[in-house]
Amino acid sequence: MSRSSKIVATIGIGFVGIILLAAVFAPILTEHPPNTTSGLAFESPSADHLLGTDDLGRDLWSQLLFGARISLSVGLAAAIIATVVGTVVALIAGYRGGTVDAVLMRVVDLVLSMPFLVLVLVLVTYFGRGLSVTIALIAGVLWARPARLLRGQVLKVKEFEHVVAAEAMGAGLWRILGLHILPRLTPLLSSQFVRAAAVAVIVQSGIAFLGLGDPSSVSWGATLSFANNASAILTDAWKWWILPPGIALTILIVGFAFIGYAAEEWADPRLTSYGYQRGVRRVLEEHPASPAGENESLVVRNLSVHYETEPPVHATTSVDLRTRSGRILGMVGESGSGKSTLAMAIAGLLAPPGRIVEGEVVLGDTDLRRLGRVGLTKLRGRRFAVVPQAAMSLLDPIITIRRQVAESALMTRRDGLEYASQLLSRVGIDPDRHDAYPHELSGGMRQRVVIAMAIANQPELLIADEPTTGLDVVTQRELLDLLDSLRSELEMDVLIISHDLRMVGSIADDLAIMYAGRIAELGEASAVLASPRHPYTELLLNAFPPVLGPRRPPVPIPGDPPDLSQIESGCPFAPRCPKVFETCLETVPEYVPVACHLAAT
Amino acid sequence: MRRAGRLALQYGLVVVAALVLNFILPRLAAGDPVDYLIPPDSSGFVTAEQRQATLARYDLDGSNRQQFVTYVKNLTHGDLGVSIRTGQPVREVVTGRLGWSLLLVGVAVSISTVLGVLLGFAAGWRRGTKRDIGVLSAVLAVDALPAFFVGLMLLLAFSVKLDWFPVYGAIAAGDITGWARVTDVARRLVLPASTLILTGIGSVFVVSRSALVSELGEDYVFMARAKGLDDRAVRRHAQRNALLPVSTAALLGFSTLVGAATVVETIFSYPGLGSLAFDSVLARDYPVLQGVFLLLALIAIGANFFNDLLYPRLDPRVRKVG
Amino acid sequence: MTPILELRNFGVTFRGRRHVDVVAATDISFTMTRGERLALVGRSGVGKSTIARAALGLVAPTTGAVLVDGNDLGSVSRRQLRSLRRRIHMVFQNPYQSLHPGMTVKRLIGESLAIQRVPPADRVELVNDALVAVGLPIELGSRYPDALSGGQRQRVALARALVAKPELVIADEPTSMLDASLRGVMIELLSQMQDVNDTAILYITHDLAMARYVGDTIAVMDKGRIVEMGPGEEVISSPNHPATSALLEAVIQ
Repeated sequence: MSRSSKIVATIGIGFVGIILLAAVFAPILTEHPPNTTSGLAFESPSADHLLGTDDLGRDLWSQLLFGARISLSVGLAAAIIATVVGTVVALIAGYRGGTVDAVLMRVVDLVLSMPFLVLVLVLVTYFGRGLSVTIALIAGVLWARPARLLRGQVLKVKEFEHVVAAEAMGAGLWRILGLHILPRLTPLLSSQFVRAAAVAVIVQSGIAFLGLGDPSSVSWGATLSFANNASAILTDAWKWWILPPGIALTILIVGFAFIGYAAEEWADPRLTSYGYQRGVRRVLEEHPASPAGENESLVVRNLSVHYETEPPVHATTSVDLRTRSGRILGMVGESGSGKSTLAMAIAGLLAPPGRIVEGEVVLGDTDLRRLGRVGLTKLRGRRFAVVPQAAMSLLDPIITIRRQVAESALMTRRDGLEYASQLLSRVGIDPDRHDAYPHELSGGMRQRVVIAMAIANQPELLIADEPTTGLDVVTQRELLDLLDSLRSELEMDVLIISHDLRMVGSIADDLAIMYAGRIAELGEASAVLASPRHPYTELLLNAFPPVLGPRRPPVPIPGDPPDLSQIESGCPFAPRCPKVFETCLETVPEYVPVACHLAAT
Repeated sequence: MRRAGRLALQYGLVVVAALVLNFILPRLAAGDPVDYLIPPDSSGFVTAEQRQATLARYDLDGSNRQQFVTYVKNLTHGDLGVSIRTGQPVREVVTGRLGWSLLLVGVAVSISTVLGVLLGFAAGWRRGTKRDIGVLSAVLAVDALPAFFVGLMLLLAFSVKLDWFPVYGAIAAGDITGWARVTDVARRLVLPASTLILTGIGSVFVVSRSALVSELGEDYVFMARAKGLDDRAVRRHAQRNALLPVSTAALLGFSTLVGAATVVETIFSYPGLGSLAFDSVLARDYPVLQGVFLLLALIAIGANFFNDLLYPRLDPRVRKVG
Repeated sequence: MTPILELRNFGVTFRGRRHVDVVAATDISFTMTRGERLALVGRSGVGKSTIARAALGLVAPTTGAVLVDGNDLGSVSRRQLRSLRRRIHMVFQNPYQSLHPGMTVKRLIGESLAIQRVPPADRVELVNDALVAVGLPIELGSRYPDALSGGQRQRVALARALVAKPELVIADEPTSMLDASLRGVMIELLSQMQDVNDTAILYITHDLAMARYVGDTIAVMDKGRIVEMGPGEEVISSPNHPATSALLEAVIQ
């Protein structure tokens, strides 16, 4: 939960708490029993009657305190009933589906389409005005909205794989509903409960205000009703007759509303994602970075990126690399090696708590680190382009793909739409699909759309972060071949980040192998694949089962990937290296192009 | 248009259920309906024939099934019965008030939606900043104020103390025509509409803010940044997507507000459907009550139906036909 | 011996959007007996996962039948279905979604035992054995899934499938969301499992290289049908169908 919602929740709990205390300690805080005449009518506030008396001589302070009991009990009781009923209905309808679901949802629709307040008014008239009747009636109308929302959630959760897994294991209905589905509903349930409580309090006070409340108790709404009838707004009496119960009501409802708001944030994790804004800090050191050399496009020098968490994580350390004109550089590493972080840092898309702590990033003759957020945004999509990871959901769902590609193109030319069609055809999408929406396309095709957007302005450099995740091998091959042909056609440099050494190795010209945030080996692809010099590279190659040739089962890499929050001395790969010797444990190998003590000898 | 047909059928069923409910409710009440129809002080002196005549007049004679049949038959002719209080045909009474309700609610919903969305989007964009939390708390607090309390306070402040607006009524007594009539209506509309706006803006604000924040966390927003789009373009994308849940909420809010304005109408003596319902409840004028209830249910059902039809136009993911 | 799993002319057609029916699978027939290893290979969307789900009764056939240990899943009672499901376990593709985030590792693994009403005391030892068998330290048992890497999670998923000693394990693309370097680990674990318990394995993948090492028999699917089936090495060395060739070319180094 974010800081702001924690604050809001605390205030909310505080408010509700105050009212709760007033309700519980009412008899102690006042000597006048509620709803009984204890003084003259229309008395002004005095020591004996802190808020004066109403038109029947009843103490207003006592009414204020005892009124809390009614509002709280009605609010909470109605909310509990409504939420429980709503949850049960949602579980049955959502899980069973079919006719049961259809019928229940039509009932929900019916209840929801009834004019709420008027319905309760009508029912109160017919069923009487007692407090328990009021609670039952309010709950009877209140359950429908939680039922509908929770059912939607049940439908989603039902498809979660751990639920399907439980079914597949032969779990019974109760286990699935109780252990797997219900816990996932808790956040939404809580926020609905609190909202229901707030609504119940408002409705009850509204009914009482209209004179239809329980005659044997004086709730805040009833107090206000009497005040209104006695035209208290025309005299000074409004200050102690109208204001206190009104404010008390507000405090209680605000309390519930604040708690509800915080609960909703808890229910929807998307609402707590890191702020969109956060800028990239400009680096303004004395010496500007030297530009890239001839035949070089991107140059990265000594780049270190940290995640400022507790404890801080050294995502990359002292990374040096460069792309050479018109060549494909494949950056390969396992999860947690820092390769994606590196890509995002280069592109200026590093999300907090990530931060570049040192190093230079130069594109041609432009020092990228000297540009702020706005400057980098101007270059992105024009001089360099990014194809981010998991492009499945990276397209705006309500705009056609052609218009989205055109959006990229329109940054530099006027004929965006026609040009977009050309681009889409170039990446292999059939012309009659050009006006389709993203959800109508397969994963592979969406990835092609993203590539089309990236090349729209003929960038010097294309950064593709795991462009083939989640796609089948044939599609992977096709996409990589596409990147290769685009590279030569547009004469751009390509940086491909991947965990699949074999796949990327087949089209890369140069390879950089990453381990624990550092470059382990760097070289021409053919050389690295044929005769790897770093033990890690060798192990990585052997971890792939060959499909042709003699049957050689793959050899897994022993041990576990390192914890990047611990800075060990010595070579980061030492714990798992089959060729480790003493120096490896003491000094970090910082040689280029192979960071290995063994290879250096 | 098969989908529209299927939806119409489903909603038709809901309408039928509403009619049945409408019919059943008053008959659930304890006691003889005649007691509601005949003033209490004279009920002891009523003869059997007079009772029967009264019942017949309000179609309350015969078995329940006969009554229902009569009820439905009358409905198909547009006959909603006769008001017990005034003797006017219910249809006239109700339609007379409908216009005022729509005016009040229409103005209130339009303004609160526009303001709520603008504020909500602005807050969502700056989520987490001090300004955002401040606005959020303030809006939630105002939203939590019960409508009648706000109404009373506004009445107190602007009518009683400052005497800017009239204390009650939608139009002055007597005949004013033309432009003077319009301004008069407008003047009297200000306070009740403001009350509804103040109490309604909160939910629109929260929905739009949450919607925008959700969208900003989506992958396609990250993609837009990666593409090199500037903040303005990114915001446009996100807002367009965020309008989807907002539109649904606004439409449904409109339909519920027509009934929920009851309390506000009562305070300002505004002649809308809400205050009519309330007066009818007190006077046990249940032909009118049934008429109001039916109309409000139809409005709500209509709004739901309209929303179900409209939504696929806005969100291509939900469309069934290409 | 009755095959543990049999599909007879199995076909599934889904009601899709725009009133266009999606034919997920057509005329699929094969059997699996104890100890057998079959790899089902094909591109995305070709129907492989549908078959996996049908084997567990999660998808009902539109035509044909699915038989588990001779029982037609379409005509068993709900109770029988649950008991049959306990003899086949599945390892899912997505390690980030197939484990309940609120359960500790040892509870997750033990869930299949809990469903079979094994008393808690007995579960402890079985769960620890399973952890060791998949190469995870026993201390990991008290952690929650969010503390584990993708590879570790899949090991947990495998342990969960193993611990109940099923007759058949269906692995639905278990490595496609993991680093490529972990493929070897999966192959090794599955071989061990088979050696120890004679468990049958139905391995679903789009990677012919993986299929070569996990399956004795390879069945290639294309557009909802099985287009080629035979001993692994044969299918790979002389593919008969263009779909197979395409899959082969994609993974040749």
